[in-house]
Amino acid sequence: MTAKGYAFPDKVVTTEWVAAHLNDPKVRIVESNEDVLLYSRGHIPGAVQIDWVADLNDPIARDYLNKAQFEQLMSRHGIANDTFVVFYGDKSNWWACYALWVFELFGHTNTAVMDGGRLKWEKEGRPMTTEVPSYPATEYRAQDRADYKIRAFRDDVLAHIAAGRPLVDVRSPGEYTGKLYHMEGYPQEGALRAGHIKGAVNVPWARAANPEDGTFKSADELRQIYEVEQGLKPSDNVIAYCRIGERSSHTWFVLKYLLGYPNVRNYDGSWTEWGNLVGVPIER
Amino acid sequence: MDRQAQIDFILDHYENPRHYGPLEDATIVQKGGNPGCGDVVTFYLKVDDEDRINAISFEGEGCTISQAAASLVTEMFTGKTLAEVEATSAETILDILGRELASTRLKCATLGLNTTKEAVRALRKR
Repeated sequence: MTAKGYAFPDKVVTTEWVAAHLNDPKVRIVESNEDVLLYSRGHIPGAVQIDWVADLNDPIARDYLNKAQFEQLMSRHGIANDTFVVFYGDKSNWWACYALWVFELFGHTNTAVMDGGRLKWEKEGRPMTTEVPSYPATEYRAQDRADYKIRAFRDDVLAHIAAGRPLVDVRSPGEYTGKLYHMEGYPQEGALRAGHIKGAVNVPWARAANPEDGTFKSADELRQIYEVEQGLKPSDNVIAYCRIGERSSHTWFVLKYLLGYPNVRNYDGSWTEWGNLVGVPIER
Repeated sequence: MDRQAQIDFILDHYENPRHYGPLEDATIVQKGGNPGCGDVVTFYLKVDDEDRINAISFEGEGCTISQAAASLVTEMFTGKTLAEVEATSAETILDILGRELASTRLKCATLGLNTTKEAVRALRKR
């Protein structure tokens, strides 16, 4: 993906590349969607499904799966430690980036995102199947979950604010400005307070994508948004957040791999945690 | 039903939605959903003087489960009373759709039910 000027061009592959590697044993295509049944309606031949709720979240605690569960998940899908995992999905790869971020928590960084996701693949009339593939189980050995590298917790955010470092709120302007206490139609996912974390700038996540085909914008277009408009620079230590950390994983991917910022973390506690905390700094 | 049968059941409702489209002379029109995630529905209810739903329809856009569950709701509530709608819980919807699939997308699965209940609440206030 050198044509778009990304800092890490190998982190994004084209639909053409995926089409040419459908039977590559060193590659596993992973579909991850918000719509849990989209995969059942049709998917890229050979692709497996990883669901962000059922597969990536702990069923009880608000956390991600642990090391042993991740190893089981990899084994079940025939993913080895050296498998190149390519993610794609609905909604401009919003959920694909979320799954990729969780993989990288466990040190599986041999990953990429298929530019444009499902939307582009379908628009190009490429083959889809409802056949669910089966791969031989692997003996996967995960690293310990390295939360400190790309994940931020609330105390990290407090320290970040104290140090005057930048935060990117990727929610809608209504949520950022405090007009909305929750996403419209979902009062149960709200918070007691509305607004944004002190000092955060607002760049809705989808600005990084082209709506007509779900592809990422070029590096020049992204720099215009994050650097010219918002004043970020590659040497910044940045934390991105949204409501539960899913939209912000898209922005995390954009800043880290497309623009090459070495220090970017995703605060998955996000507004559903911050907006309910006592005594933390909030602005509107 | 096994998992595949549940998937087939949901996909059938999604691909062949029952009672789809606006209802002429609806007693109430109720919108619901989550535009941020793309799940939106509009329900149309035709209710008689004895609080019975003579006709119910919907239209909408969104994920498979939200739209299939909306279709299911129109089947469930045709001919039912407002009190029966009020007495229907999310658990009932989850049981029909299948808990393994629907409980991970509770908001989507209950969008149709909650929107219909909102319509009933609005009617009660009249």
